[in-house]
Amino acid sequence: MAKLFERRLTPADSPLAILGRTTAAFLAAMVITAFLFRLYGASPLQTYYALFHEPFATLRGFGYTLLRASPLALIALGTIVSWRSGFAYLGFEGCFVIGASATAWVALLTASGAGIGPIPFFLFLPLAILIGFTAAGAWAGLVGLVRARFDGNEVLISLMSNYVAIFILQYLVSGPLRAPGSLPETRLLPRTTWLPFIIPGTRAHAGILIAIAAAGLVWMLLQTMPLGYELIVTGFNPMASRYAGINVGRRLVLAAFFAGGLGGLAGLVEVLGSQHRLMDGISGGMGFVGIIVALLARLNPLAVIPTAVLYGGMSVGADAMQRRVSIPSSITFILQSLAVLLVLAVDALRYYRINFSALRRRAPPAIVEQVPR
Amino acid sequence: MTGNQFVVSAFVVTWLSASLRLAGPVLLAALGETFAEQSGVLNVGIEGTILLGGLASFLASYYTGMIWVSLGVAVLAGVVANLFLAWMYITVRASQVVAGLVFNVLALGIASTVYRMALGNSAAPESIPMFQPLHIPFLSTVPGIGPVLFGQTILFYLTLVLALVSHFVLFRTNFGLALRASGENPAAADSAGISVPRMRYAGTLISGATAGMAGGYLVLAQVGLFRETIVSGQGFIALGIVIFGRWNPLKATVAAMVFGACDALQLSLQIFGTRVPPQLLLALPYIVTILAISGLFGGRAVQPAALMTPYIKD
Repeated sequence: MAKLFERRLTPADSPLAILGRTTAAFLAAMVITAFLFRLYGASPLQTYYALFHEPFATLRGFGYTLLRASPLALIALGTIVSWRSGFAYLGFEGCFVIGASATAWVALLTASGAGIGPIPFFLFLPLAILIGFTAAGAWAGLVGLVRARFDGNEVLISLMSNYVAIFILQYLVSGPLRAPGSLPETRLLPRTTWLPFIIPGTRAHAGILIAIAAAGLVWMLLQTMPLGYELIVTGFNPMASRYAGINVGRRLVLAAFFAGGLGGLAGLVEVLGSQHRLMDGISGGMGFVGIIVALLARLNPLAVIPTAVLYGGMSVGADAMQRRVSIPSSITFILQSLAVLLVLAVDALRYYRINFSALRRRAPPAIVEQVPR
Repeated sequence: MTGNQFVVSAFVVTWLSASLRLAGPVLLAALGETFAEQSGVLNVGIEGTILLGGLASFLASYYTGMIWVSLGVAVLAGVVANLFLAWMYITVRASQVVAGLVFNVLALGIASTVYRMALGNSAAPESIPMFQPLHIPFLSTVPGIGPVLFGQTILFYLTLVLALVSHFVLFRTNFGLALRASGENPAAADSAGISVPRMRYAGTLISGATAGMAGGYLVLAQVGLFRETIVSGQGFIALGIVIFGRWNPLKATVAAMVFGACDALQLSLQIFGTRVPPQLLLALPYIVTILAISGLFGGRAVQPAALMTPYIKD
């Protein structure tokens, strides 16, 4: 009898199949969220229009979309490096904060009259990237070291370390780096340290270029370089890679360092590109949304940029939606996370193919064996 | 008693009393998580479950005014939410860390959306009915330990009873044996006629129930209102306490008390006005948890062998 779902021997993993499943899951999440809009008494079409029109169909809105997409993409790239190396790091909220703090500290030092004094941007940027990347990389690398040395649980340690990093930030902006005034924040960073704006008339800044370059580099690392190959092999099978002569512990720490550094760059981009100062609450959950972006991009560095633009745009549209149709912007968290959960659920379908012939005809009559009497 | 001694003893009493108070919800969540992990499921989704339980109990208490009903609603919300999680973990066999983590974001979205849907943008209501500290006659007036041990809310004592019950169920019943077998060696458990998926569903749902109840505990006995930030990592700390407590409910109780003591130290020292930056004290419970689970004191060797590994029957 023909079944509608037939079991396949190998999973359907062609790029087209993956794209199809991901799109289907995302649309399903949109349908479910549409019912929530109805509960609010809003028309789903109007609401989705409000959610997607401003970030993707207006120049000014698209500038904001790129602004929000760049840190998300960098965090997603960090997620890819660590997870594909078998290091389930979840501390990107912390790396973001550490990278942002280190960058802001350097930028404040280049103010006129401060420690370093004014330096040209083309010298400042490499310095800031070096320090932001290293600080956040060391922060994550420490967790890698704990895992490699003592076999600690990196999932939980990295989750906890997020809170510690946030308290460090709170200490900095309410103590040593605090600007005079009532808010816990630093003074405005010197203009010479700001990332240049790239589209006239918008707030889009060069951070997206940094993200695109990083995506290319991560792709090259994982796809073409021996080190990347070793990282991935370590992730697949640590035992086998140890036999192959790979120093697993060292690779793990290195992966953690790169991943954390990328998370730190996300903080750098946010500080130098959008906020232009360091303040409490600067991360705002971006560390987790970035991980979600990586998951939706299937841990593929090249898919990260479009996915980050989609999610960054949704967070811009969420504010527009709240203004226009007065639906709380938090509903986009539901849409964004539901999409990934459904992608995971739909993955179970990889092992099935749909047999359309089962729909067309009825099941054939069962053959009754003739038993001789 | 000189004035100085009086201050010190007052400090110790308020500190210890706050320690036990703050240990309650995390311990409750950790007890259920122990069941989930013993069955082979690392349920990272308890952070979000606590939030949903807190919201459910807040709304129930706000509309009905009955605290025990509200606590029941919190448990129910936790079970329903974890039915979905269990489906993701066990039936779909998604990565447990990923599913749990993303679920936490989903729960945050649901909680803040539903809260606004129910109460509009108006300011939060002044107060909801709450559990009050018990004052056990005679015992609670014993100087020193009286107010510490016998001046807690009834939920605290309930949690301690649940810790004993959990220990008994896990280590002294057939159900507990089957559950632990599913987390230690699912293939062997399967050939002994134990349904591994059923055991893991049970473990995950138990953790959902206690995490939901922990949310109710937070709202109904400690905070008295709902904010998206009331949980702030307590679910993750519960996960740490399970490791620190070596997957054993009684040791987890001790671990939770240690955590509570760190958390309460920050409150008590702030009252006394020290020169230590408050952020360092606030970070203390997280740092202690990190050290406790860092593996410096033994680690993965003692965890359930099949933790985080989906079971596929051949």
